[in-house]
Amino acid sequence: MSGNFLPAVQLTESGRPVLQPNEIECFYLSSVDLLSEDEPSSIPFPHLKSRLLILTTHRLLCLPNSSSPNSSGAFAVPLAAISHIFSHKKSIKSMFASPRIRFQVSLTPDGRVSGNGSRSVVATIVVRGKGDCDAFLTKFWENWRARAWEDDGPAPGSSSGSAFGSNSASASAPASSGIYSSDGTVRMVGVAGILRKEQEMWESTDKSLQDAFQDLNALMSKAKEMVMLAEKMRQKLLSGSTSQTNASNDEEMGTKEEMQDWLLSVGIISPVTKESAGAMYHQQLSRQLADFVKVPLERAGGIVNLIDIYCLFNRARGTELISPDDLLKACLLWEKFDAPMFLRKFDSGVMVIQNKSHSDEEVFSKIKVLVTKPEALRAGISASDAARTLGVAPAMAKEHLLSAESMGLLCRDTSLDGIRFYINLFTEIDQDDMHLVKDHGVYASWIRVNHAP
Amino acid sequence: MRRRPGIGGLQTAAAARDQYRLLGENVAKIKTDLMKEQLATFRSQLEDFARKHKNDIRKNPAFRSQFHEMCAKVGVDPLASNKGFWAELLGIGDFYYELGVQIVDICLATRPHNGGLINLQELCHLLRQRRKSDRGVVSKDDCLRAIGKLKVLGSGFEVISVAKRKLVRSVPTELNKDHNEILELAQAQGYVTVEEVERRLSWTSGRAIDALDTLLDEGLAMIDDGHQDGKRRYWFPCVSPISSSIGVDS
Repeated sequence: MSGNFLPAVQLTESGRPVLQPNEIECFYLSSVDLLSEDEPSSIPFPHLKSRLLILTTHRLLCLPNSSSPNSSGAFAVPLAAISHIFSHKKSIKSMFASPRIRFQVSLTPDGRVSGNGSRSVVATIVVRGKGDCDAFLTKFWENWRARAWEDDGPAPGSSSGSAFGSNSASASAPASSGIYSSDGTVRMVGVAGILRKEQEMWESTDKSLQDAFQDLNALMSKAKEMVMLAEKMRQKLLSGSTSQTNASNDEEMGTKEEMQDWLLSVGIISPVTKESAGAMYHQQLSRQLADFVKVPLERAGGIVNLIDIYCLFNRARGTELISPDDLLKACLLWEKFDAPMFLRKFDSGVMVIQNKSHSDEEVFSKIKVLVTKPEALRAGISASDAARTLGVAPAMAKEHLLSAESMGLLCRDTSLDGIRFYINLFTEIDQDDMHLVKDHGVYASWIRVNHAP
Repeated sequence: MRRRPGIGGLQTAAAARDQYRLLGENVAKIKTDLMKEQLATFRSQLEDFARKHKNDIRKNPAFRSQFHEMCAKVGVDPLASNKGFWAELLGIGDFYYELGVQIVDICLATRPHNGGLINLQELCHLLRQRRKSDRGVVSKDDCLRAIGKLKVLGSGFEVISVAKRKLVRSVPTELNKDHNEILELAQAQGYVTVEEVERRLSWTSGRAIDALDTLLDEGLAMIDDGHQDGKRRYWFPCVSPISSSIGVDS
């Protein structure tokens, strides 16, 4: 009879079910029928009518209604035995009929409900009373997914859960035990609480995301362990470089590189110390970048904005793009193998890649030539003029002019038209005799140009 | 080890140091082996996760942002390098770096119009237009993260908040407090007059004109002298509502 099929539920004197440890009641539905709609009636699934259904964290309890006098017993379906819950399809037919909730229960060959059964049967809950079917279904899903029974050691369905030992327990713990407070509502605690809040937002739209969030949680707890280990490694790296390194052999260099590689894989930005050359990836990237950058550098006149290179390089790659941090690291490594270009940071914060042959002296001499021309002596030069002559982008030209100014080569004149640069005449003016003009020199030519009759 | 004086003592001490060093290396080696193992386990767990949820991350911006928050809590940066596991297995790196490139493009194209300061909403709008064919939705959070990564390259890529709006800066010009206040004021109608600035912010006329002129110099403001009442208006394209016909070429 049904007694063999579904495990019985112990009742107290007043008809309340005796709960397992940590089992918490979550939902009540009255006047429900529990039956199986499958054809082969060889499976003795009982047809329970007019029952009170209690959803707990561990089981689905089916109790006789208090009104029916002769109770045919109370039964339970352990949530561990449920292999699937069907989602509620709303159709016109279902609007008039009583809502039904279907789920699949696995059975052992001799008909007992158990977690690892080979056969299965689809059971149906017909809600004939006034209960809120959707809310119940939601809670049913939640509880089933939460797998609260796995935390209690000798529970039936927990075999796969404990295989990984502490890892899995720590991973499943935040999601299972302790999230339900005593009155059945979900407690908002810690990371699990935050996840729960998000879950509740998404439940109505996409149930599969619940899965994703739980997986994410598990992943993150593992990542946390990695980070702690990695921090220790990083300390070792940093301290290793400051201790006596004259005895450092290739082997140690190798492990340091390896460690950098690992830190990179996990996603921790590690410092490029003077001795270590950074991860192998960055070294390779650095060389690749040096080769790539040659052409745009020439085209741009020997100096190019770092952000432009980022766009150019990534566009050329198509897939497997590099991150801005990668680019920066690669540029910093150039000095290690004498690449013909280097990274330069201006005062304004702009970072550029500059050709070593395109040195500052060259640029300054070009600027000087430009600024001592007669038109320039009269009207000065602007950034765009300089850009045209130097063959670089206007932004770069402005930077050059500004650095020339800070070297004392130029003077600026700010007006409504913008900033224009003139040759610095103050160096030529004799402090003791301000009106003395030497016959040669820029001062003389300036006067000639500006005061030509 | 008993300390002995003389050469013998030195030799013993040296031998002891060597032994300690070897022991230390061994311990370190065990630690590195352990680390290798942990890394392998982590990688396989990440692979599982990726297999199941790679699409979710691509398609769902809310999930993406949750993912980032959790990574930040744990202390890892999934966008740190393309070589990392995260980028490799989840493909999350390419998404953001590509986004970065597109953002730089858009900022460059709109610079003549707004001087290097663009409304975040407008940027997202232009981005979406450009990415029409691409799978996946780009949320504001995604833009913010991509810009955050671009910051490292200099050139002043940064997000600043002015009143309720967020503006993306793509030029190295620094904006001081005065400029920010004017921008806030301009959000109401898209323009300000000197009078308005003086009245609402209680500044002297010198201060107002100075600030407005600097903004003009940098290209962030435009002058409009054609209004009926003859007062000069300073328009700020960056805080105006979305202008639909910018004509950004891909």
